[in-house]
Amino acid sequence: MTELHTPQAGDDAAPDNDVVGLLMRQHGDVRNLFDEVETSEGDARQEAFRRLVRLLSVHETAKEEVVHPYVRRNVVGGDGIVEDRLAEARSAKEALSALDDMDTNDPKFLSQLLALRADVQEHARAEERYEFTHIRRSADTAGLASLAKGIKAAEAMAPTRPHPGVESAKANMALGPVAALVDRTRDAVRKAAGRD
Amino acid sequence: MTFNPLEQRGIPLDRQLRNWRELNVAPIDPDHCDPYTRCRIITMNGIEVEAIMFSHHMARRSPDVEVKRQLAGTRYIEAQQQRVVNWLLPGVSSVLETTIAYEQVAVDLTAWVARMEPDPYLKQAYQFGVLEDFDHLYRYANLYEMIEHRKADAIVDGLTEVMPGRPTKYHHRNPVDNVRDPYDKDEVNPLSKLHALTITSTEQQTMNFYMNTGPTYMEPIARQLYQEIGLIEEEHVTHYESLVDPGETWWEQLVNHEYNECYLYHSFMEQESDPRIKAIWELHLNMELEHLHIACDLMRRHDGRDPESVLAPQLPDVLTFEPNKAYLRELLDTQIDLTTLGAGYVREAHERFEKMQEDIHGGEEPPSERVMTQHDEMFGREYRLSTEGEHPDPALREK
Repeated sequence: MTELHTPQAGDDAAPDNDVVGLLMRQHGDVRNLFDEVETSEGDARQEAFRRLVRLLSVHETAKEEVVHPYVRRNVVGGDGIVEDRLAEARSAKEALSALDDMDTNDPKFLSQLLALRADVQEHARAEERYEFTHIRRSADTAGLASLAKGIKAAEAMAPTRPHPGVESAKANMALGPVAALVDRTRDAVRKAAGRD
Repeated sequence: MTFNPLEQRGIPLDRQLRNWRELNVAPIDPDHCDPYTRCRIITMNGIEVEAIMFSHHMARRSPDVEVKRQLAGTRYIEAQQQRVVNWLLPGVSSVLETTIAYEQVAVDLTAWVARMEPDPYLKQAYQFGVLEDFDHLYRYANLYEMIEHRKADAIVDGLTEVMPGRPTKYHHRNPVDNVRDPYDKDEVNPLSKLHALTITSTEQQTMNFYMNTGPTYMEPIARQLYQEIGLIEEEHVTHYESLVDPGETWWEQLVNHEYNECYLYHSFMEQESDPRIKAIWELHLNMELEHLHIACDLMRRHDGRDPESVLAPQLPDVLTFEPNKAYLRELLDTQIDLTTLGAGYVREAHERFEKMQEDIHGGEEPPSERVMTQHDEMFGREYRLSTEGEHPDPALREK
């Protein structure tokens, strides 16, 4: 049996004219990366974990830049919906930053990773059910597509598969800390949205 | 097995009620559970739903208010059992994820029953049906990767293969050809009665699930695929329920239902890998023993017959969730091109079948074909999981 590879959201040939569909596929990419971290060992685990951290950071930043402002502006009760999502995201971010400094070979790593995974998964489903449905209901086709453009720009910042030449954990670290990545993601999203 | 439910007493009915705290069970972890634990949960949910609805229908046909009260008493507890069992499924799972688990149940449960069924006509009914559920698993798996970027293998975990069965578009038959001949209640092996009830119940739950959750999807291809496969589940319920002898009295059927619940909870308790879930199967078995006892008393009183006259002398071997890959491959190799005609099976596309195909497809590809086309457009390939080599049918190998 050959191992099938699912390309990350944005790299598949979907038309990406619907921000919700794109974000839902990205939730699957995150889940796939959790699987990869859990099942790998040593340097491979370290490297997969770096990719997971990057994807989560980029995904959350892009949503804060693109999706939440839209929901606040266009959905009745949108502020409350966004506040609830931000609260979930905060707890996931705290768990993430605790893990971020940890050696993936640390015996405590896996149990903390599983706790993070549970937080992230609950947050993702809550978004799909309580936030994304409102977006699809209130945005027209062009609106969904322009939101998708912003998310796609962010996506390019966090490949879920190792880039050629960035295979080792050390090289990945060279991409810089999460904070810098978040800044670069914001810039990319704002540029795509023409908001510079 | 030396376990005879007729000789056991369970928990007295007036001590079976659970409070909110006891009903509030923690769900399984969808990313780390034993896939067959999830299959057992889905199976027992279908069994409990059937228990509840059968009891409602019986009560509606009962003129005796005392009987209605007795049925209501047992039924309320069964409703609590259903709420506990189905609430073991986690809120973080998507409908599509649960759907793939439903199809894993349909494949491995039906295949196991087909292997164990002693009656050749009944065995053929299960062999015929399982190749259709097998194909549904494959279509939904492709939809799953499109919508959630996840592979069905993350759910079935290599225990069940995911590849084409009898193509879904050919499952749409004239409804009259879905009605089988019933077994003879006085001649048939008691195990066969349990098999028919089990598979009817789980297919019925699958039908209910698809027909109610399908429209919660916004993606057009998802909505359409649920509509198509949901209609095939209607055919499957017709197919399996018609195997049961309609001459069984209401009392006899009630006893069969309760006996089957004892059989299945006992089976699942024996094989459960998760100790917390095993404790639930054990508790429910001890409840069911009392429900069976009550049903037997009703049968003696109102039917004037001994329940022993319609039941097996002892519990059959445990019903088991296990891989059925070799068996399924043999069926794929030999029975993929079957359809039904009247109460039997044929290989040619007869006139009534052709007419139904023409009318329902309306000259277009059905959703089950379009999902494959759309998946291919998105990924340049299809999704399948074949762990035992290429497809047994050369025509269905990946191009």
